[in-house]
Amino acid sequence: MQNLPHVDETRGKSILHRIWYSIFRSTPLPATALDRSQAVANNFFLHIHSAKVGERTLRFKTTLGLGLMTFFTFIILVVTGILLMFYYVPTPEQAYDRMLDLRSAVFFGSFLRNLHRWSAHAMVLLALLHMMRVFLTGSHKAPREFNWVLGVVLLLLTLFMSFTGYLLPWDQLAYWAIVVGTAIAGYAPFVGDEVRFIMLGDTQVGSEALLRFYVLHVAVLPAVLVLLIGWHFWRIRKDGGLARPREALAASAAASIPVPVPVPEPKDGDEPRNKDEPKDGDEPKDGDEDGGDGSKEKK
Amino acid sequence: MSKIETPDFERLPVNPDKTYGLMCVVPTRTEAVTIETEKQVLSWPEGLLRYLLVFLALFVVLSIISLVFNAPLEEPANALHPPNPAKAPWYFLGLQEMVSYSAFWGGVGIPTLLVLLAIAAPYLESKPGGEGVWFHSCRSAANWTFLTIMGTLGVLTLIGTLFRGKNWDFILPW
Repeated sequence: MQNLPHVDETRGKSILHRIWYSIFRSTPLPATALDRSQAVANNFFLHIHSAKVGERTLRFKTTLGLGLMTFFTFIILVVTGILLMFYYVPTPEQAYDRMLDLRSAVFFGSFLRNLHRWSAHAMVLLALLHMMRVFLTGSHKAPREFNWVLGVVLLLLTLFMSFTGYLLPWDQLAYWAIVVGTAIAGYAPFVGDEVRFIMLGDTQVGSEALLRFYVLHVAVLPAVLVLLIGWHFWRIRKDGGLARPREALAASAAASIPVPVPVPEPKDGDEPRNKDEPKDGDEPKDGDEDGGDGSKEKK
Repeated sequence: MSKIETPDFERLPVNPDKTYGLMCVVPTRTEAVTIETEKQVLSWPEGLLRYLLVFLALFVVLSIISLVFNAPLEEPANALHPPNPAKAPWYFLGLQEMVSYSAFWGGVGIPTLLVLLAIAAPYLESKPGGEGVWFHSCRSAANWTFLTIMGTLGVLTLIGTLFRGKNWDFILPW
């Protein structure tokens, strides 16, 4: 059975103490390195993050904090978006009136809508700047190619997220922006009209389009976005943290990962050291000992 | 000498007091023990408190903007009264500007190629070097290509946003 120190630690303690440990499994203000590592590793929301992080990673110049800020605008958008959902009805008859209600009848309604809209613009801008940072620091290169691809998909989803939200106020600005935007999709050869029809649910921007954009905006796209953001973060960790200069990379390898020592190949005529070892060209056997231990040696 | 020697017990006698002994010397590279290790800090509190500060700063800035500037709200949507010009959201105005030259290439062809190029970029730029360094000299060709594309899109977006008026004619914003 796994060691459960919290059970012993909390025995005989106050009910608040026991409730805290039942949730967090670590002290509220961890002071030792062990407790501090566990505060991260034992937390559901933080466990995707490593317990330690390179000092260089935290320097402002390294990332300018752009990816983090993009994520935080998304958090603000989810919270303000959910609050706005309580007041919004996605029909051409009601949508615009609900905007007026937000101004006049809802407590902090204007602020809520303003924050949602400006955060949405900020998210698009920050995602673009984050993409530029990653490219200009060469951080998209191997082994992080796929995380870059995920990032490109996330950027497109962010644009589509913003675009679908743009229609919802159902004012002249929203309506004609979507007319123009979806007309661009209609220029695709062969499938253009079909794509446009699928987006709008009609040949015109009307009630069907409003409903479709609403469902995409509040359910489908956020769900996909949350999934891909999780994947994006997980890959940062699996790719060994942020990209770093070659010298620092060697240093980090020396610090944490045991470097396999290459053993020289026996020359012709020598007895093979291990007769079971597959020779060059042999198929690797099932249960290849290199599988998954992360210390695969390059030849 | 690349041969693995069998233990040379004559030259390297076994010490009976020890459970280990020197078996052979392998002429090869070993761990880079002389390199200074990368300085690491604990995520809590060094990292997470910084993240919190970034969040608070961002939230304060966005809140101030939201208190000062109201989100635009025009007249109710009316399919019979198109504004002139009708503009897409700002991030698509680069596309709309290109569409004014060629509907297919501006709206579909070039955007598709750019997305494919973006996805392919890390696979095309396969030569290692310059990772984690701003504007590394060995990557200047890639960086200039990227900046040229982004700059062109930025200029087109600015033109579409500020310099286009009625009938998509060129205007000056001032």
